[in-house]
Amino acid sequence: MATAAAVVAVRPIEPEQASLWSDAWRRLRRNRFALVASIYLLLLVAVALISTVWTPYRMSAVGITETYAPPTAAHLLGSDELGRDILSRLMVGAQVSLIVGVGTQILVLAVGVPIGLLAGYYRGWLDQIVTFIINVFYGIPDLLVAMILVFILGPSLRNIIIAIVATRWMDMARLVRGQAMSLREREFVEAGRAAGARPIKMLFGHILPNALGPIIVQATLGIPAAILFEAFLSFLGVGVQPPTPSWGSMANEGVMAIQYAPHMVIAPSIALSLTLMAFNFLGDGLRDALDPRSRR
Amino acid sequence: MFTRGTLIYIAQRIVLIAFTVVAVSSIVFLGIHRLPGDALLSERLRGSAYQILLHHYGLDQPLYTQYWNFVVGVVTRGDLGESLVNRGLQITPLVLRELGVSAEVGGLALLFTIGLGMVLGVFAAMRQNTWLDYLLTTTSVVGYSMPNFVIAAFLILVFGIWLDNLTGGTFYYQLGGWRGDIGQLWLPAFALGFPYASIVARLTRASMLEVIRQDYIRTARAKGLRESTIIIRHALRNALIPVITILGPLVIGIITGSVVIENFFGIPGLGKEFAQSILNRDYAIVIGVFTMYAAMVGLANLLVDLAYVVIDPRIRY
Amino acid sequence: MAPFSWRLLKILGVGAALSLVVVACGPGNGTQSNNLAANQTLKFPILGDFGTLDPAQLNAETDSEIAQNVFNGLVKFDNNLNIVPDIASKLPDVSSDGMTYTFTLRQDVTFSNGDKVTSKDVLYSWNRAAAEQGAYAGNLAAIKGYDVVSNNKVTSGAPLEALLEKNDPSVTLSGLTAPDQYTVKVQLSSPAGWFLSAIALEATTGMVVDQNVVKNDFDNWWTKPAEMVGTGAYKMTAYTPKQSVDFQAISNWWGSPKPTVQKVHIDILSNAESAITAYEQGSYDIYGYGGYSNAPIDAILRIQGTANEKNQLLLHPKVRTTWLQFNLVHDAARSAAGPFLLSGGTTAKNLRLAFALAIDKTKLATVVCHDIVCAPATGGLITKGLIGYVGDNTDPLAKFDATQAKQLLTQNDPDGSKTKGLSYAYDPNNPINTTVAQFLQDQWQTNLGVHVDLQPVDHSAFIKGYLSGKYVMARNGWQADYNHPQDWYDNLWGKIPGCPDANCGSGYDNSAYDTLLAKADAEPLQQAIPDYQALGKMLEDDVTYVPLYYSVGAFLLKPYVRGAGTNNFFDYYWDQIQILSH
Repeated sequence: MATAAAVVAVRPIEPEQASLWSDAWRRLRRNRFALVASIYLLLLVAVALISTVWTPYRMSAVGITETYAPPTAAHLLGSDELGRDILSRLMVGAQVSLIVGVGTQILVLAVGVPIGLLAGYYRGWLDQIVTFIINVFYGIPDLLVAMILVFILGPSLRNIIIAIVATRWMDMARLVRGQAMSLREREFVEAGRAAGARPIKMLFGHILPNALGPIIVQATLGIPAAILFEAFLSFLGVGVQPPTPSWGSMANEGVMAIQYAPHMVIAPSIALSLTLMAFNFLGDGLRDALDPRSRR
Repeated sequence: MFTRGTLIYIAQRIVLIAFTVVAVSSIVFLGIHRLPGDALLSERLRGSAYQILLHHYGLDQPLYTQYWNFVVGVVTRGDLGESLVNRGLQITPLVLRELGVSAEVGGLALLFTIGLGMVLGVFAAMRQNTWLDYLLTTTSVVGYSMPNFVIAAFLILVFGIWLDNLTGGTFYYQLGGWRGDIGQLWLPAFALGFPYASIVARLTRASMLEVIRQDYIRTARAKGLRESTIIIRHALRNALIPVITILGPLVIGIITGSVVIENFFGIPGLGKEFAQSILNRDYAIVIGVFTMYAAMVGLANLLVDLAYVVIDPRIRY
Repeated sequence: MAPFSWRLLKILGVGAALSLVVVACGPGNGTQSNNLAANQTLKFPILGDFGTLDPAQLNAETDSEIAQNVFNGLVKFDNNLNIVPDIASKLPDVSSDGMTYTFTLRQDVTFSNGDKVTSKDVLYSWNRAAAEQGAYAGNLAAIKGYDVVSNNKVTSGAPLEALLEKNDPSVTLSGLTAPDQYTVKVQLSSPAGWFLSAIALEATTGMVVDQNVVKNDFDNWWTKPAEMVGTGAYKMTAYTPKQSVDFQAISNWWGSPKPTVQKVHIDILSNAESAITAYEQGSYDIYGYGGYSNAPIDAILRIQGTANEKNQLLLHPKVRTTWLQFNLVHDAARSAAGPFLLSGGTTAKNLRLAFALAIDKTKLATVVCHDIVCAPATGGLITKGLIGYVGDNTDPLAKFDATQAKQLLTQNDPDGSKTKGLSYAYDPNNPINTTVAQFLQDQWQTNLGVHVDLQPVDHSAFIKGYLSGKYVMARNGWQADYNHPQDWYDNLWGKIPGCPDANCGSGYDNSAYDTLLAKADAEPLQQAIPDYQALGKMLEDDVTYVPLYYSVGAFLLKPYVRGAGTNNFFDYYWDQIQILSH
């Protein structure tokens, strides 16, 4: 699958490992957008953690106030079509978004990185197969495949994650493969081979660390894409199922009642947008920080 | 420009596209057929009547027979079968008709994406590090961070309802036969294209910045050419290349977004058909639409690659 | 970018461009034809394409709401749900033993292509419908010979047409004869008080189709305007699947009232909110026709709050009840077990009762429907207003008593092990189902302390599932076809639909029920009512369900539209509508 948002300018990393990371960290800290984004994301994680044990009201409690009620002191974000407290649901929704966003990327890394490394380093038949698969599926719109997968497997959080991972691992594999392919020609790799280092150690001890930069960026930028995906799936009715709130399904419910109760769509839309923005700024910041060609 | 080598390349690509289409639709076909006959059920349809319907659609035959019939039908007659929910509805003409509608909205969105995106990107590059640059950059990040249906909902709220006395009409898609007109399409096209315009803007800005630093630009300036001539005639052409690079993913992104936007606006295109058919479990149509998409995207990618040949004379196949 | 005129932003509703053809004022009856609009075109949206318009295959509300204006049967229901003659010239003569019905046909009935209708058309249509075994073929089940025809193996296409042409006995109802060109004699295999209601049912198996047309394209004749021939006041003139369909009034129609509206244009949209908005902005004349009277509650609230619109809202009870179904039988065909099975005896019954009493149905109607689009089902499963309705607040299962519910739970499941891991299945395709499901879950949590998972299942898989006893608890519902309790009791419980095995939502069956039902079905309606009510009481005593709500339909009618509306069952026919000048 190809996604425009994850186009990353890939360049082999200079082998000055130690100073690269501290260099990158210094640059990242100076990027105001990335900094603010990180603070926001930490707050978000905190809210999600808190919501596992406490929310102002029970998030599935029906009819505790008037339905479609606008924000009041008792219900800061108002109530939805069943008279449930939107703020509580928003907090729990953060859990879902983070799980989907981060969870899918972790799995994408777990699947895509090893495959990409093996294909790019060893070439040969494995590489042929991997490249072939990637080329065949390059042009297929990922949302459609994800919808079909969710359709076959049945809508649930687990299946959504599976569907997203199944459509996204190829981008990661392609990136890692490219990195592995160029890195394997480097002198330090040849030196390692000459010194008799075992292949696994080569791959994970030498090549992978040098390829980490673009991988991290790709993974970070993949998180908002996954969250957006879930929002789309929820909007089309095959997302996370009630009563579990997800920002996407809350936005969908809000859109349906937008003329009568506009407050319903505003809260989850802003939450979604801010979170996606934060991950995007962070990913951009990481990319700039890790790119040796940008100015110091 | 189109040498023998290029023509061979085109032929190879078309074969690959055909293969991809068959492979992809096969996977979808086999995957979906795990659930036979579900679309045929209703609250009242029972027992023997259900079996009869299964037989009519050939769904009581073994899977490989169904699959073979399907492939033969597609390849020889271009026949994608019959809808399971709407009896008697032939899928191929339906899909072709809806393709036209989607292409119209999608094409407009694409134009908008590239046009607005490049304009914003150029301006941001020209005024680098000024407030304008930051504003445009931030706007573009916001742009692709909001789900397109949220953008659409707010636009409808603003233009369709709050400003209703000004505009005096509804923004829901009106069919003017095969072609709607710009006045009706701009809202869905905008919602569809805006997230990607942001991406194009960023890319254009980055590549413009690189290009501007090049020697030949400095030479042109030294020669005394006007800034606008330099930008348009020299810098832009080279800055266009990265945009062409992501044209493939851009088209895919617009197709993806159209599933949501068409549903939202009620536009009778492929995206709406796809989503509705999945929800109706009319998997005959799902397979048909998907096959059409696979073919479209393959062709779009091929066109993009050919566009490279036109833009960059160094590239040969 | 160049500025553009705001005019361009004025987008009319879907299809307005197609339908703005100036047509001379329709002939009308003359009685109320003052200030009629010159353009008698009716435009309304539906939210999903119809499945079929072939009377032999019809099974959805949308299909019949449209087809009822294109086809006629021997008798029909009028606006007040009385059975009146249609193609027949008068109500049939019934023999004293109730086994023979003799219909006399009008002599002036024609199809839209000019073919005259005679008794052989009735025979052809009914034999065809019985042979095709569509969803409503059972409407003809009382006719002698139905057993033979319903077991026929050839059920579609040219082969079936060939059999029908030569009057092959395998596709001919032996009890159906035509003594002469304008007489149809029907012999039943046993008395059936519901027979006349069943064939009056609009747009289904009792309707007459033209063999000359059908035989050329046996399965798909109804998809093309040229072949879509019926006896109704309107004929199809254009059909773009999933987009729109157009109808035009027949000139010199044999029936009455003569149609005033000359053209009907129906757009097929997908989104209720946008369809209603388009209606508000003038693109449509009515909303809710065609089986889509389930407008979202927020739209209704909004319209009620808008001064110049609230008089356009028409709320009318539908004949639809929704309830919660327990799976009562577990065997080879029915996979769900759980604590609610009939075999669990008194304990299981008390648990069912606990779950029933724990739900506040009044609150459900208030929170979910704002007391507008539904009302609590307190008088039994047959909807209020229908024959067989028991009476307000007579159903003990409709009560709400959290204390007693909790008591029953503690007594019958002291350690909570029986009610662990339960789930409630529903189809989310209709948004109200999702809302109700979440409400139920919350009620059980709050009032019983029991957690029940929600299990949304897509509609067609859901139907298949609950008919085969896959869910311990599931949503269930029924929309009456005609005003006769047989429609409910014959289709939902007992051995006729197939209980206790598959094809039955609950699995409920016992000999007492079957015997009493057989007796009631054979009696004329008035006599049968107490028997049907006793059946209802049986279901209540055995706590077979939890009643939830009766549905109310919502329609929007522009002030310049006269004659549109609904009774509980169907939209008023299009030939009654008039568009006033506006």
